[in-house]
Amino acid sequence: MNELAAELPWLWAGLAAYALATFTSIGGVAIQGPGGTLIHAQRSERIVLALLIAGVLLLGVAIAQRWIRIGHGPWISLFELLMSQLWSLGLVYTISYWKLPRFRPSAVVVLPVLWVLGTWLLTLEPKASHFPATYYNEWKWIHVALGKIYLALLLIGVGLSGVMILRRAERVRSWFSAMPSDDVIDRLAWRMMMLALVFDSLMLIAGAVWAQDAWGRYWQWDALETSAFGTWLALGVGIHLRLTYRIPAWLSGVMIISIFALAFATYFGMPYVSPAAHKGMV
Amino acid sequence: MTFLRSLASLRLTLVGMLMLAVGAGLTYDNRLDLPVWVLVVPLAVLSVNLSAAILTNERINRQFGLLTFHVGLLGIVVLTAIGRLAYFDAHTELAEGQEFTPDVLLEIKKGPFHSGRLDQVHFVQGPYTVEYAAGMQRGLTHSQVAIAAPEGGLMTKIVGDDRPLVLEGYRFYTTFNKGFSVILTWKPLSGPPITGRVNLPSYPLYDYKQDNTWTPQDGPPIKFWLQLETGLREDAAWTLDARNSRGVLVVTQKDQRVELNPGDTAEIEGGSLRYERLSSWMGYKVYYDPTLRWLFFVAILAVVGLAMHYWRVMGSRLWPSVLQESRDDDKSQERGSN
Ligand code: HEM
Repeated sequence: MNELAAELPWLWAGLAAYALATFTSIGGVAIQGPGGTLIHAQRSERIVLALLIAGVLLLGVAIAQRWIRIGHGPWISLFELLMSQLWSLGLVYTISYWKLPRFRPSAVVVLPVLWVLGTWLLTLEPKASHFPATYYNEWKWIHVALGKIYLALLLIGVGLSGVMILRRAERVRSWFSAMPSDDVIDRLAWRMMMLALVFDSLMLIAGAVWAQDAWGRYWQWDALETSAFGTWLALGVGIHLRLTYRIPAWLSGVMIISIFALAFATYFGMPYVSPAAHKGMV
Repeated sequence: MTFLRSLASLRLTLVGMLMLAVGAGLTYDNRLDLPVWVLVVPLAVLSVNLSAAILTNERINRQFGLLTFHVGLLGIVVLTAIGRLAYFDAHTELAEGQEFTPDVLLEIKKGPFHSGRLDQVHFVQGPYTVEYAAGMQRGLTHSQVAIAAPEGGLMTKIVGDDRPLVLEGYRFYTTFNKGFSVILTWKPLSGPPITGRVNLPSYPLYDYKQDNTWTPQDGPPIKFWLQLETGLREDAAWTLDARNSRGVLVVTQKDQRVELNPGDTAEIEGGSLRYERLSSWMGYKVYYDPTLRWLFFVAILAVVGLAMHYWRVMGSRLWPSVLQESRDDDKSQERGSN
């Protein structure tokens, strides 16, 4: 008989909390009271916040359960990476949701992105992964933590970008009427990108130190490193494009979403697509 | 001055960045046939562009954090270039009891200006263990080496894939490439005996072909293979350790086939062969780059500069408008400021 892996019930519960938060946030901005006033919005925001907190806590328990079960942290398999990203992206986004109330409607963009990860995760086997020799190095903590913050900042940017783009559509414009002007959103989004650049740079530095220890070289242009450098450079290009030209809000949003897409592909695609990637990683 | 200003153009920055992205894409997987120019040219363009901007553009040279960041980027490019000119990269295989000397290095690659004190590097290889998890997944390696202690005498250090031995800036990392060796003594019918060491192919990678040939000086070629008992398990965890392994030496010469245990001697054509004992060898990657520490500091400095810039801009220009509850003021906030 197949025994249920200890983390699965917690994982499902956490994903369910995220799912409810997704529907509640959409309901909160889409269902409006008479005259367009945002009757439901504020109450729904409190519910969304509570559900997000619940989701993060439940996923935290799932990760801890798995950690105990297999004896090492969620570093290795795609199942583990997705689970831990769902937790950390959720955590950072929840903090920004809580701290930046004026930008909460962007949850209708952000939470579905989490769902891409959640759905993908549900298709994978939770089987135990092997802990390679290179992972005993303590730099992994710093590298991974910085990477998580970096990706989460990009995700917040994606939320803001989605709003700038969706606002162009007549039908959904009212969803975001409570949010500041595109000008303010755009500036906040690019500040997030600059902060993401800080964490991305630090992540690359920590990764290089780790790689020097693990593989005897700090940089080798393997698939993952090339792609990670490309994403770092894309952030620089994006920031400089804005310095050089006047970029309309929607295009600015497209740029941010593209950078996120690159980062996403780097993180979840490269280590598994290319057999040469980060030898010893998988 | 106008020339310098045009060199400092931010449009050129974008062109340089795109060139660099293309160069990085081409360099993917370190293709050896690719000329190094695909990276050097964009980096040179960006470096000239950035230096010109630092000299002429007040938006960059008047903002301390931003300036630190960009100067740091320039520093990283310069240091990487120095690193490429001075680096050293090689492999070696050291048998237990063998002392490292530069002439045992294989596959040497180095920059044109490499000048390290490799001749000052001394250590002696000791025994090692390699942990394997179920499914033949290699775990930690603990390789013992003896180095000179500062207070005189020798001291033991443990080296691993992730724990280099660093001597004179040269970093020695263990690799997956390691295996067994046998110590043999050949006693010809006349003349003095010769003791030698023969390394067998990498283990457990070439578990199935642990054979080799030894031709002692003035002696006949002796073919043999090693029947190993190492505790190797496919389905469970085990530890590779030559000290806990047994190896029976099977010598074949013409029609003759002899099995030898350590200490045994066989009479074969031309003399006698004594199998002294089983031993091991370890493969190392050797790496030297004098810029490593500097690269780290400069990179950190650059990021600190960027963070300072971030906080200043965030605090003075943006944050108030983000936190403001009233939406009417949004448009009055410094339009177009970044
Ligand atoms: C190599 C040539 C480069 C030049 C000439 C250059 C020039 C400049 C200049 C003049 C500014 C000031 C903009 C202002 O405040 O108005 C600036 C800002 C900035 N640059 Fe660069 N830069 C270069 C490369 C890079 C690279 C490779 C990156 C990162 C990947 C980068 C990231 C930034 C950031 C984050 C800012 C701050 C933007 C802001 O305050 O919104 N730069 N750069």
